[in-house]
Amino acid sequence: MARVRVKSFSVIRDVLGAEVIEIDVAHPETVGGLFNALVDKYGQPFKNRIWDPNTGEMVPFLMKLNEETLISSVSDLDKEIQDGDEIVIIFPIGGG
Amino acid sequence: MANSFKYGGYVGQLLRVNLTNKGITKEPLREDWARDFVGGAGLAARILYEELPPKIDPLGPENKLIMMTGPVNGTMIPAASRTAVCAKSPYTGSFFHSIFGGFLGPELKFAGYDGLIVEGQASSPVYIWIDDDRVEIRDASHLWGKDPFKAQEIIRKEIGDEEIHIATIGQAGEEKAPYAMILCDIRAAGRGGMGAVMGSKNLKAIAVRGTGGVTVPNVLRVYNTAVRLNQLVATIPAVQGLAKYGTPRNVAAMNEGGILPTRNWQTEVFKGMKDITGEVMREKVVKGDRACFACSINCTKYSVVPKGKYKSVINGVDYETIYGFGSICEVDNIEALCKADELCDHYGLDLISTALCIAWAMECYEKGIFTKEDTDGIDLKFGNVDGMLQMIEKIGKREGLGALLAKGTRAAAQIVGKDTYRFTVQNKGLEWPGHTCRPFPAAAVGYATGPRGGSHHDIRPTAEKSGMVDRRTLEGKGALAAEVNHWLILCDSMLLCHLGEPIWGPLKISNNTIEALNAVTGWELDYEGARKIAERQWNMIRCFSAREGFTREDDQLPVRFMEEPVPEGPMKGSCIPKETLERLKDDYYSYRGWDLKTGNPTKEKLIELGLDFAIKDIC
Repeated sequence: MARVRVKSFSVIRDVLGAEVIEIDVAHPETVGGLFNALVDKYGQPFKNRIWDPNTGEMVPFLMKLNEETLISSVSDLDKEIQDGDEIVIIFPIGGG
Repeated sequence: MANSFKYGGYVGQLLRVNLTNKGITKEPLREDWARDFVGGAGLAARILYEELPPKIDPLGPENKLIMMTGPVNGTMIPAASRTAVCAKSPYTGSFFHSIFGGFLGPELKFAGYDGLIVEGQASSPVYIWIDDDRVEIRDASHLWGKDPFKAQEIIRKEIGDEEIHIATIGQAGEEKAPYAMILCDIRAAGRGGMGAVMGSKNLKAIAVRGTGGVTVPNVLRVYNTAVRLNQLVATIPAVQGLAKYGTPRNVAAMNEGGILPTRNWQTEVFKGMKDITGEVMREKVVKGDRACFACSINCTKYSVVPKGKYKSVINGVDYETIYGFGSICEVDNIEALCKADELCDHYGLDLISTALCIAWAMECYEKGIFTKEDTDGIDLKFGNVDGMLQMIEKIGKREGLGALLAKGTRAAAQIVGKDTYRFTVQNKGLEWPGHTCRPFPAAAVGYATGPRGGSHHDIRPTAEKSGMVDRRTLEGKGALAAEVNHWLILCDSMLLCHLGEPIWGPLKISNNTIEALNAVTGWELDYEGARKIAERQWNMIRCFSAREGFTREDDQLPVRFMEEPVPEGPMKGSCIPKETLERLKDDYYSYRGWDLKTGNPTKEKLIELGLDFAIKDIC
């Protein structure tokens, strides 16, 4: 098992219950696998924040891995994550 | 006139008010122009190109102020409540469209007009009262000098109708401050000095009451389209969160991504971010939520600071407030940001330009260019919250350093000299919103070539910011910027809100946009047809700028973005060097079929788009 920290904001944070949560995932695990684990734990409300129900696809967004690397839900779901890693969900939002 | 127009969604009538001779005329909307330019910014650009001689004084009686609706306004389509205020800008020197949400646009249509053209100059302060067919130019001497909200209150009382919708200017507009805004009920047409144009005409307010409706060819089709679009609003993840947190939902995430502009853009990470997030705003100051006409996004927040020195009541704060007066001035107090927002409304100042002017002054102060003598004793360091609020007051009153800052950073830097131009964050004179381009090449070329300069409504960085396209390559970025221009300008002619970006765009004009237009008008445009209209609109605006003398040389970025890489955070090292920008411009112009040397549309392109009439002016 690997323990991973997930940091999020706004309505994703609301579903996860806190700005930073920890979750146990298989080891080795990928970024995509982490999101599946989050769906298993937090259910449809979490899925509704990340997957577009109209297309059934995960929406494009960036994540920050361990304070330094930016990765994308479009191209990096196969990236391996390790015990102790932190992922920050950076949702693609424009301003008004 | 109503219902006889060839296309659905339109009233088929424009209202023209000449303030010099007090002439009030109602004239038919040209069907060919409606079909070719739709409405809003597109149609206003065509009208102003026709009616304004080149190189006029934007603050003279020759300029015209157009308040334009679009065919979708006033229907049940969501996120379609906006209104375009258009004129030659005193701030940028070219065509400008400043767009606001709320109710006034739909109300203008209900009163029986697709748009209002105000021309000339009144000899004393007036306001225009539109009550369906009845239109009056009324004395506004008693309103001059009044805060916009107070002026609205007085007008509602004297007309005796709480339901009317009113656009007003504040003291800044009356004094023709070049970035004065128009407050439309509670929403702002903030950018580009449209309030100054109104003030130059001695026009304090435009009040509207309409009791009509909007005719569409097939009500069931419009209803079904609206239902489907409302489902998208409710379910698309990138739209969720606006109802609870408004636009500030993105503050914390942007800071984590290293794209929260800070300290007059010296960096893009703000250490005080945690105290000015959307979450903090919701918890500490938000008391309610508000929506625009027929809109289910519900993004506007009603906030109150009940007591203390930052006591205020506002509609907001929006992300741009948090960016401008928060991270850009390094202020980490959400209540103070509410006060800053309230002060800008009180004086009728564009919030973004005001904030960036103060941040520029803070940088001048910290670099020793300004001293306490220049600032009337204010220790104008970054993070000095009360100093920042005092400077808003000074700008509003054009007092001391405020008189200089009221001119905008470009003009102020020209006066001050000493290389202070290098840290003005503006292009074409318009200060930047809180959406960076340093890591995003398509956004960079979009901002540089955009007709308004520093506007995040001519380009959006979303595709590169989300990873939808690779931000690290230059390939294809000219095409991406152009197609983003197209969905944005089509929205600005239909008056769709850009907060519906995932629905209307985000990479190119979406089928949702086309279906909304087709359902309301009865047109059966396909993608190519819709794209051609948008391309025509964009080129029309470019022709306006070219006729004013703008060239490729004017398509620039702030010096800071070309010479100072982001110093820290996940985007460390990002910048758009001058050579890169020039390559991107070549790519963009080539994709558009524009002349690489001048940056103007070519004769062939103008003929292709039916803009032949502009050939004599710019080719």
